[in-house]
Amino acid sequence: MKVINARHRDSAGAEGTMENFTALFGAQADPPPPPTALGFGAGKPPPPPPPPPGGGPGPAPPPTAASAPSGADKSAAGCGPFYLMRELPGSTELTGSTNLITHYNLEHAYNKFCGKKVKEKLSNFLPDLPGMIDLPGSHDNSSLRSLIEKPPILGGSFNPITGTMLAGFRLHTGPLPEQCRLMHIQPPKKKNKQKHKQSRTQDPVPPGDRLLISPTETPSDSDHKKKKKKKEEDPERKRKKKEKKKKKNRHSPDHPGVGSSQASSSSSLR
Amino acid sequence: MAEKFDHLEEHLEKFVENIRQLGIIVSDFQPSSQAGLNQKLNFIVTGLQDIDKCRQQLHDITVPLEVFEYIDQGRNPQLYTKECLERALAKNEQVKGKIDTMKKFKSLLIQELSKVFPEDMAKYRSVRGEDHPPS
Repeated sequence: MKVINARHRDSAGAEGTMENFTALFGAQADPPPPPTALGFGAGKPPPPPPPPPGGGPGPAPPPTAASAPSGADKSAAGCGPFYLMRELPGSTELTGSTNLITHYNLEHAYNKFCGKKVKEKLSNFLPDLPGMIDLPGSHDNSSLRSLIEKPPILGGSFNPITGTMLAGFRLHTGPLPEQCRLMHIQPPKKKNKQKHKQSRTQDPVPPGDRLLISPTETPSDSDHKKKKKKKEEDPERKRKKKEKKKKKNRHSPDHPGVGSSQASSSSSLR
Repeated sequence: MAEKFDHLEEHLEKFVENIRQLGIIVSDFQPSSQAGLNQKLNFIVTGLQDIDKCRQQLHDITVPLEVFEYIDQGRNPQLYTKECLERALAKNEQVKGKIDTMKKFKSLLIQELSKVFPEDMAKYRSVRGEDHPPS
């Protein structure tokens, strides 16, 4: 398994795109070397040949074509006055004008990673890995970078531990001190958030849609059930309360408790 | 291809599980668990041997160094893939824009040159095999 630096790859990719770009518009990007055989100046291109008498469209071979260096374009021989002209790239050539993600069938990967939010922490990627893995590797000197920069000195092979060697692994009885229990530390799981999410998902249901939900599933009904259970559990308390109420009603018939009960009943009717 | 990774993943999971169990044994060590400890230690050695064998099958796999940086920082390495794809798409759009602009420029240039140098441009079109100027 090799490790590559993506920056170099990026630069290589950029060069690749530039190559494509120059292939598309090669004549503008890099001019061919000057024809030194004819003695033209380095910066001056040779003048175009004089047009044939009568101005006929017949393409006369340019004088530079014979002395053109091997790097010059092959089509330059038959292109008349257009001595810098090169062949156009084929339409089948892959360039940046095509959607390269669809070209390489990466839509699924794109939708997977870019369509939804990817969780930030490493423990979300490796949920079954024990220990606190979200901390930076530089904290406990466990970074992969250090493994590459300073590879461990390895022997030839891994040999099983024999009986005499196992004697070195005899441990003292008893628990480990707390600072050594790194394996038991797990990243905190956010259980409260899930509860909030549940309550949030229930809240935004519009009143019309609430009718579609079965009444047994609604939280209000479950609360009623709980209350009923409580009432069933304590019949003695009920009796005591009723007796108290009766006594109070006898003493004061306009007790606010009566009004409130009426109000509650009227509100329930609404 | 995927089998190689599955094989390695399986061995790594076994190895991690063995390490976890070793940690449990060691965290509250009892004299009776010495035999289990010795067994686990040898399991770890065989686990390392198995992982080492997988190396031969994966010598042609390349991993970007940036992924390791993500892991070292305790970040999800899938974020690297996500950012790579987003960067690729952005660059793709940028290059497409450049190519489209240059195509427009070429057509406009030919159009204007045809007005000023109609004969030369007729030759040019005949060389290029274009009967009509591109719109």
